[in-house]
Amino acid sequence: MYLLEHDGKALLARHGIPLPAGCLHTADHKPALPPGPWVVKAQITAGGRGKAGLIKTADSAAEVAARSAEILGKSAKGRTVRAVRIEQQVHGASEAYLSMMLDPAEAGVRIIMAASGGMDIEALPREALKTATAAPDVATLAATAEKLAATIPGATGKALAEAGRKMAAAFIAEEALLIEINPLFVRGDGSWLAGDAKFVTDDSALPRQDAQHALLADVGGAYGETVLKDAHGCDYVVVDPEGEIALLTTGAGLSMMLIDEMRGAGLKPYNFLDIRTGGLRGETRRLVNVLKWMRTGKNVKVLLINIFAGITELGEFSRLLVSALNDVPEFQVPVVARLVGNGMEAARGVLAEAGITLHSDLDEALVEVRKHLQGAQ
Amino acid sequence: MISPRIDRNTKVILQGISGRAGRLHSRLMKAYGTNLVGGVAPAKDVNEINGIPLFPDCASAVKATGATVSVVLVGAYDLLAAMREAVAAGIKMIVTPTEGMPVHDALQAKRLTRDAGVLWIGGSTPGMAVAEVAKLGFLPDVSLKSGPLGLMSKSGTLSYESGYRLALRGVGTSVWVGVGGDPVKGARYSDLVPFYAQDAQTKALLIIGEIGGRDEEDFAEALQAQQFSKPVFALIAGRTAPEGVAMGHAGALTYGSHGGYAAKRAALEAAGVTVYDTLNAMVEGVAARLL
Repeated sequence: MYLLEHDGKALLARHGIPLPAGCLHTADHKPALPPGPWVVKAQITAGGRGKAGLIKTADSAAEVAARSAEILGKSAKGRTVRAVRIEQQVHGASEAYLSMMLDPAEAGVRIIMAASGGMDIEALPREALKTATAAPDVATLAATAEKLAATIPGATGKALAEAGRKMAAAFIAEEALLIEINPLFVRGDGSWLAGDAKFVTDDSALPRQDAQHALLADVGGAYGETVLKDAHGCDYVVVDPEGEIALLTTGAGLSMMLIDEMRGAGLKPYNFLDIRTGGLRGETRRLVNVLKWMRTGKNVKVLLINIFAGITELGEFSRLLVSALNDVPEFQVPVVARLVGNGMEAARGVLAEAGITLHSDLDEALVEVRKHLQGAQ
Repeated sequence: MISPRIDRNTKVILQGISGRAGRLHSRLMKAYGTNLVGGVAPAKDVNEINGIPLFPDCASAVKATGATVSVVLVGAYDLLAAMREAVAAGIKMIVTPTEGMPVHDALQAKRLTRDAGVLWIGGSTPGMAVAEVAKLGFLPDVSLKSGPLGLMSKSGTLSYESGYRLALRGVGTSVWVGVGGDPVKGARYSDLVPFYAQDAQTKALLIIGEIGGRDEEDFAEALQAQQFSKPVFALIAGRTAPEGVAMGHAGALTYGSHGGYAAKRAALEAAGVTVYDTLNAMVEGVAARLL
């Protein structure tokens, strides 16, 4: 998962990476401030916060409160700001860049380093970037980072060498996919601080990464999707809180494609879902949960079911579905079903008894969806 | 050159055959024509499952059967150890459908297989198939019709739906490889370009991609480097997905400009690939070119 800056920094601190003094404020939790002046930074998992007006400076506690109030509750890239990190400003330091990320082609870790940072890495001239790929073990990764840093003179090179060693340890121990420190503040004496942190961890490693697992319980809903997957075994993402069409779908690729196609056709899907029909094991629990989540979509007017069953038996799936719909009577919207594959005819009978027409053609199903949307207006 | 092509004589074992998925899919694979010669499972009181003899470990299975391919259906946290066992036993091609292999385990598995010259397909792969000949993994029979189209996909379901609609439209597939949806995988699209270039049955190639990583960009580069001359088509899912959330597949995560749709589409189109926006458009476009 893509960590909030505050959480990413907490993980970095576990590995001895120094940070500017800071704290996290939410609407109703405001611990004591570090020494000022400050920078107030929105905590959302998307880049470009500065340009979006989600990072502001403040010189007094009153100003901190005012800037926080402006930023909290704002939305950017489909995410709502629920927390701000308030940090002591860093002055008189130069800005460098350091990142480590997976190199899927080489089965290694790619290190990128630059003596100047602070801006988007793509904006830096290519010759300013020092890069190398190392084997994914702490010793090799640290040694490779030090070798790169040795090509950068002065305090900056010294700071990058130490930061590289510490980041190598963090990357392997935390099973990271990406760690980026930009800017990495360097003072004249070679001491340094992580000004920002982009940290992406591996959801598949969560069960053996206790510190990361503990983050799931933190900060109101920042990692909702990972929490759901962890607790319920399915992937569910609200892609448009204003969306009109709830989607009960299986398979990540097919579900993403369906959303793209619907949006391309001017429809407004509410959610992404990979229910994993193969994992239902004859129980309605997962379906019932999903229907309850969908019900919270304030504009949801119709439920579209789109399942391609290679292995799953659709008759059995349809019985579970009808039973789950009956268990969530408060979710009262028309149901459009498009099912293809194994056991389609059995499914047709089961759904017909519940008053649901089974379509085998997706375009026909979408025609029925539009009809319901028009009828609902 | 690595080749994923299998036939009715290719000897296959299944590690983890006694689990729920192992029992189900060993039956389905065998019924499809796959030459499943052995299963690896802890010794209990049975000595066969679905008529397939059981062995306590990979080494004895390979020694007794001469198998060269293994399908591994064990838990995500047991995959790396099972793959080490397979490589040590002399297996030449490993298919791992299990979802959720930790990425740092996948880094080790990739180095292990690469250094041993073993072809690894996975993780989180639906498997691979030579239509109407044999399959390794979960690909549904209704989507498999023999024909001229090479197919590689990150997604299982989107490829099932694509294969199914193409088959209905009269377009069949040659060698279908589910490369899988994990960020670090065994064979990537680009690794298999040389194979598809020389495969006689393959007259055109379809890749089904999605946001995240840079597999599609590297594939585009490989096409140009190879001077690949067969028509290439692509369908890329996740055009409208939000940033910073893994969309079901661990690999389908964008952050900033990293892994985004636009860069993939641009790279593919620059390499002469026809990129479609919808399944219907893809099916009609491919059919118009191949029928």
